Amino acid sequence: MECLIGIRFKDYVLLAADRIDARSIVVMKHDEEKFVSLSDNLLMAVTGEAGDTAQFSEYIAKNVQLYKMRNDYELSPTAAAHFTRRNLAEYLRSRSPYQCNLLLAGYDKGTNTSHLFYMDYLATLVELPYCAHGYGGYFTLSTMDAYYKEDLTPEEGLALLKKCIAEISKRLIVNLPTFQVKIVDKDGIRNFGENDGIVEARKLANSS
Amino acid sequence: MIKTTRFSYPEVENGPMQRHFSPYTDNGGTIVAIAGKGFAVIASDTRLSSGFSIYTREQPKVQQLNDWTILGCSGCWCDVLTLKRLMEARIKLYRHEHNRAMSTGAIAQMLSTMLYYKRFFPYYVSNVLAGLDEEGNGVVYSYDPVGHCEKSTFHAGGSSGALIQPFLDSRVRALIQPFLDSRIGNKNLTPDAIPKEPLTLDEALRVVKDTFISAAERDIYTGDGVLIKIVTPEGVREESFPLRHD
Amino acid sequence: MSIMAYNGGAVVAMKGKDCVAIAADRRFGVQLQTIGFDAERIFRVSDSLFVGIPGLATDTQTVHERLRFRTNMYELRENRKVTPKVLSSMVSNFLYEHRFGPYFVEPVVAGLDPKTHVPYLCAFDLIGCPNEPEDFVVSGTCEEQLYGMCESLWKPDLSPEDLFETISQALVNACDRDAISGWGAKVYIIEKDKVTVKSVRTRMD
Repeated sequence: MECLIGIRFKDYVLLAADRIDARSIVVMKHDEEKFVSLSDNLLMAVTGEAGDTAQFSEYIAKNVQLYKMRNDYELSPTAAAHFTRRNLAEYLRSRSPYQCNLLLAGYDKGTNTSHLFYMDYLATLVELPYCAHGYGGYFTLSTMDAYYKEDLTPEEGLALLKKCIAEISKRLIVNLPTFQVKIVDKDGIRNFGENDGIVEARKLANSS
Repeated sequence: MIKTTRFSYPEVENGPMQRHFSPYTDNGGTIVAIAGKGFAVIASDTRLSSGFSIYTREQPKVQQLNDWTILGCSGCWCDVLTLKRLMEARIKLYRHEHNRAMSTGAIAQMLSTMLYYKRFFPYYVSNVLAGLDEEGNGVVYSYDPVGHCEKSTFHAGGSSGALIQPFLDSRVRALIQPFLDSRIGNKNLTPDAIPKEPLTLDEALRVVKDTFISAAERDIYTGDGVLIKIVTPEGVREESFPLRHD
Repeated sequence: MSIMAYNGGAVVAMKGKDCVAIAADRRFGVQLQTIGFDAERIFRVSDSLFVGIPGLATDTQTVHERLRFRTNMYELRENRKVTPKVLSSMVSNFLYEHRFGPYFVEPVVAGLDPKTHVPYLCAFDLIGCPNEPEDFVVSGTCEEQLYGMCESLWKPDLSPEDLFETISQALVNACDRDAISGWGAKVYIIEKDKVTVKSVRTRMD
């Protein structure tokens, strides 16, 4: 039901996540934050089993920060992604696997490259130009196939992301009223777009 | 030490006894058919088996229905026999009623209807129908067990269908109408590697023989021998050759 | 749907005259949804030794990492290169260690012996049963189609050029009849003093 979307461009990455927190058929919260910052230029978006998401993402975030304190330098996005994968993979074959699907967006200041990683609850890690978790994937991948170009400006990138969100709002039976959009680039992590990065999905769908 | 014997009643302890009857069995077998300009060839292996045992090494699975149509069936052999018998009866009825033999297209449609008639207790058979159309050109129809029918120029069905079909895709060229200009067959070749001449009967026969020899290497349900039926406007003739016997 | 077919993908390897080839498709998907077009399932172990790991994608990655650890440790401890036979034993032992909770992969080892340059092929099932044939090995979701293609196209003592053509045709035509394999292919031709990597275009659907 929950939905994460990520698009990587030449020197920035956009992540979007819905803001619904649902238990069974009940929506508990309309302004749930699904992002966790791992470092200044590394952002993770998580969905999945309720407790697991918080527990696992915090464990990863704190360990990435601990690594920085111990070594005086940061993990690169690729290194952090592999660290996350290894942890999830080891838990997968333990008695208490974490059920989290996540997207990892990062900007590597060492090589000046942007990265987007897709990882599912089985700990399958793939680096991709664009991807989605949840039912959103069924509606948005084709839109991104058609319109994605590596060198879109952030404004054009946001427009593409909004196209995807509009499609979800229009065609998916689940009601996901708002999405939070974030950007990761050389200057760090910020909410992106007007209204502090909060996209009203229904409005978009009606106007498209 | 006193030894106590504890009686056990497995019939009672394991709950009610259940008997199962499975109406289906897979008797294996492979059918390959290729159609060309003025001919159709259809071949089957001659092994009839069940699990690891071979019932006979001499049971072809192709059946001549009239002067220009051949049916190949493999799968559950009892269903094959029933289906074939009913087909022959319907074809006979058609002839008595209309005073002419059924065309290949008419038989193809009838087979689809007959299969779908048993939609919820299907004949467990993969059918391949090959023959000549009204212009005297080859045509192949292939079916799933519930009557989905596809008209094409080549098809491999039965236990080695998955092994042979990609090879036919790459080797056999569709060169009869209405597939002449379509992109069926000769897959993944550079344009200059695609032969310009129509597929000949000899080439088709060679491909059929090659595929069976290959399939018999890997598929235990295919082997022993091959019977090929060759349909041309002059009539139907047969060819056969041996395959591995293990 | 079987767990082995959750992500899709296929690997094939063939022997030629003084050379071997190993090839894989490039699709990454989750069941019937295609997510990526540049998956890697063939990994270099040493100069003329490769392993292809089709199956569940997460286990492809885990098994690759664990094998990398073991081969590196072997080279450090023994101060010599991993030979194809050694890698085979390693893969087999590693998979069998997880006999009752297996990794869902069926690896293929292909390479030349570093000293004698004799071609070597080996395929495994998911619990490490090795199979060392003299001609070709296939693995993955279009195994049946690959068997049919290889059995028809392969012949002994193919030159590197002919081997490339044969393995590419086998893989591409097999993948075309499998909904969850394809989206391009990568072919490695391994010869005595060089390894050629070629990308093969296929239909993208």
